[in-house]
Amino acid sequence: MRLFGRGAADGSLHDLLAEAGRNVVRAATLLRDLVADYPERADLAREIRECEQEGDRITHDVIHLLGGATGRPGLSSDQVQALARTIDDIVDYAEETADIMGLYHIEASMAQAEELADVLVASGQAVSAALGSLPDDAALSEQLVEIHRLENEGDRVSREAIASLFAGGIDPMVVIRWKDVFESLEEAIDACESVAHLLEGIALASRAG
Amino acid sequence: MSAATSLRVAVIDDDSGFVQVLAKRLETAGWQLRVIDGPVPPKELVAMRLGALVVDPGVVGPSGLSFIESVCEALPGLGLMVCTGQSTVAQRVRGLRLGVDDWVTKPCHPEEVVARIEAVVRRRKRALGTPEVGPLEAGDLEIRGDQFQAFAAGRGADLTRREFELLLLLAEARGLVLQREEIYQRVWGYAMAHGDRSVDVFVRKLRQKLERISPGWRYIHTHFGIGYRFQPEPTEAVAPDTIAPTSFEDAPRVASST
Repeated sequence: MRLFGRGAADGSLHDLLAEAGRNVVRAATLLRDLVADYPERADLAREIRECEQEGDRITHDVIHLLGGATGRPGLSSDQVQALARTIDDIVDYAEETADIMGLYHIEASMAQAEELADVLVASGQAVSAALGSLPDDAALSEQLVEIHRLENEGDRVSREAIASLFAGGIDPMVVIRWKDVFESLEEAIDACESVAHLLEGIALASRAG
Repeated sequence: MSAATSLRVAVIDDDSGFVQVLAKRLETAGWQLRVIDGPVPPKELVAMRLGALVVDPGVVGPSGLSFIESVCEALPGLGLMVCTGQSTVAQRVRGLRLGVDDWVTKPCHPEEVVARIEAVVRRRKRALGTPEVGPLEAGDLEIRGDQFQAFAAGRGADLTRREFELLLLLAEARGLVLQREEIYQRVWGYAMAHGDRSVDVFVRKLRQKLERISPGWRYIHTHFGIGYRFQPEPTEAVAPDTIAPTSFEDAPRVASST
């Protein structure tokens, strides 16, 4: 599959998307380490913030590159822009999660947050692999299936985690804090699935073109 | 700092206006307030480690006085005040005989309620005739309730309030294994959310601080999947972390959660 008619632009775009994928994996891994060892490793939030800035830079570069490329009929540069922005959303939500944990003065982690962070890392790795396998339809398809599976897994963990907060007698402040953290983690995992949807659309458009 | 500064008070009342004004006054006085809008099992009140309870029996329903009776039985040291609307002489007499320390009729001024709570707590303390917590010695440690701090060879552990409460709870259990859920309920005053790592994190911090001032001793032992046990042991005599009992008699006892 080729995203654009011009080979040079295609190559740069693939490089940028692969870079965005690696940035997703890095942010997710840092978040998992922060959550698993909270509050001892709360300082990782600073590195996650750097990933968020890096994600913004990559998105800007993709949009800039598209501005100078001639789109192939049937494949909208809007789709690629949307893809870049959605990849960036994953990192944004990861950064938001780390930020919330600090802002809400969370004292210690929760097992379900660690589980969700693990799902996010796996999902981020699948997104990165999908972006890296763009010319290969079969490999892409395999990764997309994995991202959908992980999104379902994230949904299940998040639902159960939120439900457990409403057991009787729990401090309402704990409920408020952790509901926000679980939801932010779930948003990050959902954004991975949104990337998968966009990649499916791009792949279909590419085949049709 | 006055003696009442750290008092924990719970109010069982659904009169939001009254509760709001009272909360403001208590907050200004530096007290910790817990508002409960319905009857709770006395067991939960025990876990809250309250100094006083203000209750409107009308909120509890027709069994209001029975509820008061069960609270007085479960918490004989608790300062208990009824603050309610119109009542009969018979109801007030029965309540006071069950163990209620004071009975105030609404409408009432929150300042008067606060002063009456203070008086109830003061009388309770005077009746006990002893300071709230005396120094507790274990291994190298001296745990001082009057300073909310632990010392070893005159050196303070620099414990936070919560770390101190955790240490005191474990030390007072005298070798019993306390379950995580029970520790959380008694130190944090709420039920522990499933998966919450707070107890583990605070035990870890506490261990680090104790090790800093008393490196030759190990105080807190992990019982995997259950909780923690306080038992001062010289470090050279202890194998890493969990203590495996060699016989049934050696097995540490787990505190009953009732």
